Amino acid sequence: MSQEAYPLTGVRVLDFTHVLAGPFCTRLLADFGADVVKVESVLRPDRLGATLPKPDFGGRRDRTATFLSLNRSKRSIAINLKSDEGRRLAVQLASVADVVVENFSSRVMERLGLGYENLSRDNRGLVYMSMSGYGHTGPRRHGTSMNMTLQAYSGLMMATGREGDLPMSIANSWNDYIGGFHACLAAVNALSERASTGTGRQIDLSQFECSVSTLGPLLLASSVNQALPKKWGNRSPAAAPQGVYRCAGKDEWCAITVGGNAQWRALVQAAGLSEYAQDPELARFIGRQRRHDEIDRAIETWTTQLSAVDVESRLLNLGIPARRMRRAVDLVESGAETGAFRTLDEQNGWSSLVTGVPFSFSRELPDPIRAPRLGEHSAAVLQEWLGLSGHAGVEPAVADVRERVPG
Amino acid sequence: MTRIIDLTSKYGVYATRLLAECGHDVIRVEPRSGDAVRRMPPFLGNVVDLEHGAYHQFFNANKRSFSAALNTEAGQDLFSDFVRCADAIVLCESAPVDATVIAAANPRAVVVSIEEQEDSDLLAAARSGLLSLVGYPDGMPLLLGGQVENCAIGLYAAVATGAALHHQNNTGAGQTIRVSARSALEAMMEQSVITFSSEGRIIKRRGFRGEITAASSAFAAADGFWMLSVIAAGKVWDDFVDWVQDPELSADPSLADEAQRHAKRELIAARLDAWSLRHPKAELIAEAQRRHIPASPVATVLEICEDEQLIARGYLLEEQRAEAAPVRVPRGAIATPRGASYRRAPTLGQHNGEILAELGYSAAEHEMLMSVGAL
Repeated sequence: MSQEAYPLTGVRVLDFTHVLAGPFCTRLLADFGADVVKVESVLRPDRLGATLPKPDFGGRRDRTATFLSLNRSKRSIAINLKSDEGRRLAVQLASVADVVVENFSSRVMERLGLGYENLSRDNRGLVYMSMSGYGHTGPRRHGTSMNMTLQAYSGLMMATGREGDLPMSIANSWNDYIGGFHACLAAVNALSERASTGTGRQIDLSQFECSVSTLGPLLLASSVNQALPKKWGNRSPAAAPQGVYRCAGKDEWCAITVGGNAQWRALVQAAGLSEYAQDPELARFIGRQRRHDEIDRAIETWTTQLSAVDVESRLLNLGIPARRMRRAVDLVESGAETGAFRTLDEQNGWSSLVTGVPFSFSRELPDPIRAPRLGEHSAAVLQEWLGLSGHAGVEPAVADVRERVPG
Repeated sequence: MTRIIDLTSKYGVYATRLLAECGHDVIRVEPRSGDAVRRMPPFLGNVVDLEHGAYHQFFNANKRSFSAALNTEAGQDLFSDFVRCADAIVLCESAPVDATVIAAANPRAVVVSIEEQEDSDLLAAARSGLLSLVGYPDGMPLLLGGQVENCAIGLYAAVATGAALHHQNNTGAGQTIRVSARSALEAMMEQSVITFSSEGRIIKRRGFRGEITAASSAFAAADGFWMLSVIAAGKVWDDFVDWVQDPELSADPSLADEAQRHAKRELIAARLDAWSLRHPKAELIAEAQRRHIPASPVATVLEICEDEQLIARGYLLEEQRAEAAPVRVPRGAIATPRGASYRRAPTLGQHNGEILAELGYSAAEHEMLMSVGAL
């Protein structure tokens, strides 16, 4: 299939983002076929991922493993934005770009002469995506935020868990991803609108608003009812019992959702809960909701005697929905069966695991390409975008970014 | 205007909400009994009916509603009209229509099918590994609140649909997209999976402590919780210890390095726990922000209803509702920077008449479709 088949083929994205929300946005754009050029500098490399690969890792070591995944399918140009030549070059590149993405806090791009007004003067079609923490307007426009403050401030940490639980976070950069998704959709939509209006636009996205929106129903309920909604923990208004039950072994758990009365009867038998077999109240959905605490204790008395694998397989054999809690190790070991991850960048018999896309297009999407070395594509991008064979604003390419990261 | 037919369940309904925020005409096609999202608690004003569900009211804002009996012959005929005039159809596997048939009937349409795969949100979270990242160390793993995992599935569906619509815009070509809900959740495990495959380290749940940034955690202040996240860059730490003035933290210069902070994060957290308790949270947050160190309240959604930033940016709008005095409603993260208007979620079948007219049916034919049981 020809290159023209991809949704964003021919779309040039000049990517000033770093760490996670921004690079995730531009990785999605690259997944749809855009030519994403990451602007980096030896003086200010992207700090994503602080930790080192295993000592015996013989594969690629010039970037951290998370960087390689978040920045695959992009090209890299090394520019020092603190120099006049560097800034001039960035402006030139932006003049032929379709999309600029930046996730600096308010005013940084203006100070560099890379604000929307400046860049759009000679490029009316430019789509300029700003995705700062709180947005570039409002009383907190200069506030700094990160994934953890988004988890906290959006209400997510207090909405998670059961009534009375302390605040609870998720041990990853969940809310960075949430911002990146929204930015990608808004940028693509602005490109579609440009096709009919002829002009691009600036989009002043607020990652805080993205995070708040994922809790939109609870926010709306709080606003109308002037009270906090009930916290369900692992339970469900639509199934009982439902929970995560401790199994034999360290930190082994199995999630169970009993979808109806017949499944309840099967569970009673499987778990040997003979005292419940003749209980008419528990034969009914509402009765099981009322006595959920007691049922949970009884189920756990059974599950703690078995491994999670055993609980899962016994229940599934009886048609009772159950899934043992998996961890990253389980995903890696069973990775071949799903489309979420794949290996790239093979060298010396080693390779890096990267995240793919969880969807398929009938007209195909581009295959992922390994992440660039810092400045790897400076010359090619100068040539292809600007027809230049060199420029004083370009820094030399770098063999290993991590060696140059201070501290 | 791009017309999108919406047959999503809770797993995709955020996708179509965002497409409506983008300015598209999204028509939610529902059974006459109302779709399942309408039934999800909590309920606004505690009115338990098909119109007051908070999930329905949020996720279906800015859409139109068409209700029909898709299992009747006349209902199927009507649906074929929708298929013919749609630019995109977004559906979940549980919808009573077939993505392959739709794509064959309208080859220029973008047909998005979300494969659900699990029986509940909880099982999907367990299967994906996300459950292992939420909760207290060695305590019960937990779902995230507000069903936000489902938003991640919807967001993957949304960006895919947006890209395919752009492609359709340029070339006139449609396509069929399959979104795997399971793979979407697994993809959200990216950092854990890559950390394990590159370092052999399993990331575990840490309660209210952060995992990715070493010195990040909710801390109890004198008057409640606040959040602090000391970013990895070197100089920020120096400034931070200058503020905290903790003898142990100041005495260890190796902590200027993020990797060293990761290795000693329990010690750091313990020192900061003690420090934090001595101060009111507002003071701590203000001082952190003054030093450009990310910090915030640990807020509830009820507190966010009056957030000055959201109000100033027009994210929270005032709406007059029947229930009471005007209330603040969320406009949306894409609608706000676009300056798009807000329309509250439709009542069941609210737009049947106008949509039938757009499809070319007369008022008399509308009545006939009613009498035959299609509406």
